Amino acid sequence: MKVAVPAEGPNFNARVSDRLGLSPYLFIVNLESKEFEILRSPRDSGGSGTGMQMVALIIAKKSNVILTDWCSSIAEKHLSAHGVDIVTGMSGTVAEVLENFENTLKIQEEKVEELAPLARKIDRRVVAQAVLSASSRFKNLLPVMMGVVFLVGLFSAFISEEFLASLFSGRIWWDSFWGVSIGSVFAGNPINSYVIGGKLLELGVSLVAVTAFICSWVTVGLIQLPAESAAMGWKFAFVRNLSCFVLSMAISFLMMLIMNLFGR
Amino acid sequence: MVSNESKKEWKIMPSSQVVFLSSVFAFYLVLWRVAPEKTTLAVRASIGILSSILLPLGLAFLLMIGLNIFLKPLHFAKFLGKGTTIKRTLLSAGAGIISAGPIYAWYPILKDLRDKGAEHSLIAVFLVNRAVKPFLLPVMISFFGWTYVLILTLLTLAGSLLVGAVVGFFLDSPTGSQ
Repeated sequence: MKVAVPAEGPNFNARVSDRLGLSPYLFIVNLESKEFEILRSPRDSGGSGTGMQMVALIIAKKSNVILTDWCSSIAEKHLSAHGVDIVTGMSGTVAEVLENFENTLKIQEEKVEELAPLARKIDRRVVAQAVLSASSRFKNLLPVMMGVVFLVGLFSAFISEEFLASLFSGRIWWDSFWGVSIGSVFAGNPINSYVIGGKLLELGVSLVAVTAFICSWVTVGLIQLPAESAAMGWKFAFVRNLSCFVLSMAISFLMMLIMNLFGR
Repeated sequence: MVSNESKKEWKIMPSSQVVFLSSVFAFYLVLWRVAPEKTTLAVRASIGILSSILLPLGLAFLLMIGLNIFLKPLHFAKFLGKGTTIKRTLLSAGAGIISAGPIYAWYPILKDLRDKGAEHSLIAVFLVNRAVKPFLLPVMISFFGWTYVLILTLLTLAGSLLVGAVVGFFLDSPTGSQ
């Protein structure tokens, strides 16, 4: 974006001119590249109509916007006709005015970005894209979920309750530990942990074990550990996974206590 | 998945998900020969589970569309470097909750955020909150009931802050510079 600023002097500490036609200098600043030009005003040639010559200069330099204190209606008409935006009421030094303008632009951009999700509401293409994206995720999710459901079916038909009772004895510390340990090894969509957890509950496995299993399924990732270490460093991966292991156990105990309070 | 290694010849490659499902069905066929009665029981149990999650899955699909329209994880991620600690922590939690897809896809973004100065604690909060899946809540409720799901969700959110604090204690310096 090219910004034109009429000024009283040839440096950035000079004040912005009150009137375009009486300005001795004109700054043309490219906000992206930070390149600038300082031009002598046609006023010094001594002829009449310097205001309009200044307007012609601003247009010739392909400025996008002019920052000034005041602009006549005739100059405003010509500048607008050539796509130059006029910002009046700008006073202070050239540097201050440019800084204020850049800050205003940033704030406006952030507001537009914040409002963008709401604006998308009316865009049919966004809705179509959302449906396609959800379908694609479902298409990836369904085969594995179906497979897990049929494995759980096998599990419930072939694995005896005695075997489960031997693994999950009902002692809350061991149940929680085994639940978290098994959940830490598994990975994938959490929907599969719900299917397995729901069946385990039906088969009489304790709530502590099932909660620990569901919690650790997503939060602890032994299989993903090398990838997490590579991205975030081994110390982060170790501390985070260990914390989540302990957290999953803690949550399983709390869940048991709270659900007991609710009488479930 | 369609491979186009050669322009003349298109090869249709089965995805790993389909291979997994086919393997399960193949396993069923083998078991059918060994123990037909128990295998029939297994099929009935599986169909029972499938029918019970059909409606919640439909709701999950609609919720997923809604989230795709209104929320973008990168929109949250962009703001992780701004604002107060509380605001950034809440945004990390929000980004974790709405994040989707395999975690492997997120590591490059998290690494990028880390390189740009995001604290380890915020990334830990993000990762723990991936356990909260709003679009899967109907499925979860169908298995465990809304009381259980509500309490577990709240405990996970609170727990994520604790994990963030622990990770921050060990990896982030008190001044914020690492």
